[in-house]
Amino acid sequence: MFSVIRNKKPKKSVNRDMLNKQRRYDSLVRALHGDLFRYAYWLCGDKHIAEDITQETFLRAWRSLESLKDDKAAKAWLITILRRENARRFERKQFDYSDVEQADIADHISSSSEENMEQHMLRRQIAKLEVEYREPLILQVIGGFSGEEIAGILDLNRNTVMTRLFRARNQLKEILDDTQTRGRSNG
Amino acid sequence: MDELKFRREAYENPHRQDEEFLGSMHESSERTAFVNDLKLLDKKLEAALKVEVPEDLEAKLLLNQQLHQHQVERRKTGFTLALVASIAFIASISFTLLRLAPVDLGQHALAHVYHEEMAMKSEQNISVDEVNTQLASLTSLNHAHFTEQPGRVLYSTYCDFQGVKSIHLVMQGRQGKVTLFIVPLEERMVLEEAFADNRYQGMGFKADNAYVLLVGEHATDLDYVRDEVKESFI
Repeated sequence: MFSVIRNKKPKKSVNRDMLNKQRRYDSLVRALHGDLFRYAYWLCGDKHIAEDITQETFLRAWRSLESLKDDKAAKAWLITILRRENARRFERKQFDYSDVEQADIADHISSSSEENMEQHMLRRQIAKLEVEYREPLILQVIGGFSGEEIAGILDLNRNTVMTRLFRARNQLKEILDDTQTRGRSNG
Repeated sequence: MDELKFRREAYENPHRQDEEFLGSMHESSERTAFVNDLKLLDKKLEAALKVEVPEDLEAKLLLNQQLHQHQVERRKTGFTLALVASIAFIASISFTLLRLAPVDLGQHALAHVYHEEMAMKSEQNISVDEVNTQLASLTSLNHAHFTEQPGRVLYSTYCDFQGVKSIHLVMQGRQGKVTLFIVPLEERMVLEEAFADNRYQGMGFKADNAYVLLVGEHATDLDYVRDEVKESFI
């Protein structure tokens, strides 16, 4: 009889823990899957691979959700997992996506208006950026992370991060200005 | 702030809010325009970076985790089931083997006496009828019973002789107590006529339908009880 009582309690709390974990996971997925997918996309340059990486990332996150103590740090935590997943992809199979990515990127998005044309062009240029420059820029612009946070995620020192952000913007701006002046003189 | 540093900081993050940066930005309209230009670039960048997220991705992520959880649970229960099954299997095998192994009655009797020290301390007076009732419940004894009181019986209980239900009695001898086991006949039993260790001596004989084992400290007691039992136990 004692054992019945003793068994019952932990079981209930286990169920409650499971439920809490489930809720936590669900809200993480809802809030962050978009950013994570985009980050993956800009890392690998392919929507399908990005989807796979995102799925792997969230599965891994589910398995070790207990290790995430502070929900505010969830985004950085997930991005760290995602980057590791992406690196693992190269350990597993040495596919060379880089040739495909530049040609393919964003090509399926119809570019009717001028704004879309520009965006289309910008996407190609972002994809052409060295990944070392691209990553901090993405983290800053869509991740909303500060220099210190980016340094933490990428395991670099802050000055390096700032230099890379400077170069990334500098390169993109030059290309953009260049095409704009060329466009104007051509028109 | 010199121009180079200002430009550098603007490129690093045009949305900086620290006073030094904002102050030097307002120093000239060119600088302000420059920062605004970069802010515009950032806006464009943000729009460009926000590629479309597949509509079903969220559902997929949730489903994936559910499936994964389901599999983990199934694997867990499968493993537990296999573990329980193999334990049950081993247990049943070893149990069967144990039951088939020959039983040395003498050694077992000695071990039993040591094991049940309580029995030796008992000072009850048990009537022959009570002992007979217990004997009657052992069907394999073929109605063996005592015809009369075989001296004083101090203790009586059922016991287990390697899986064979038997009777455990303690009787009063002339000098000390004697433990008496009545074990139904079974093929794998090996009966020794006499056995002993440092403390106890024992003897065994075969009655009509049972083995009778006696264990006591004094040989004279054993002979005495044996004679009593031989007379009254049929």
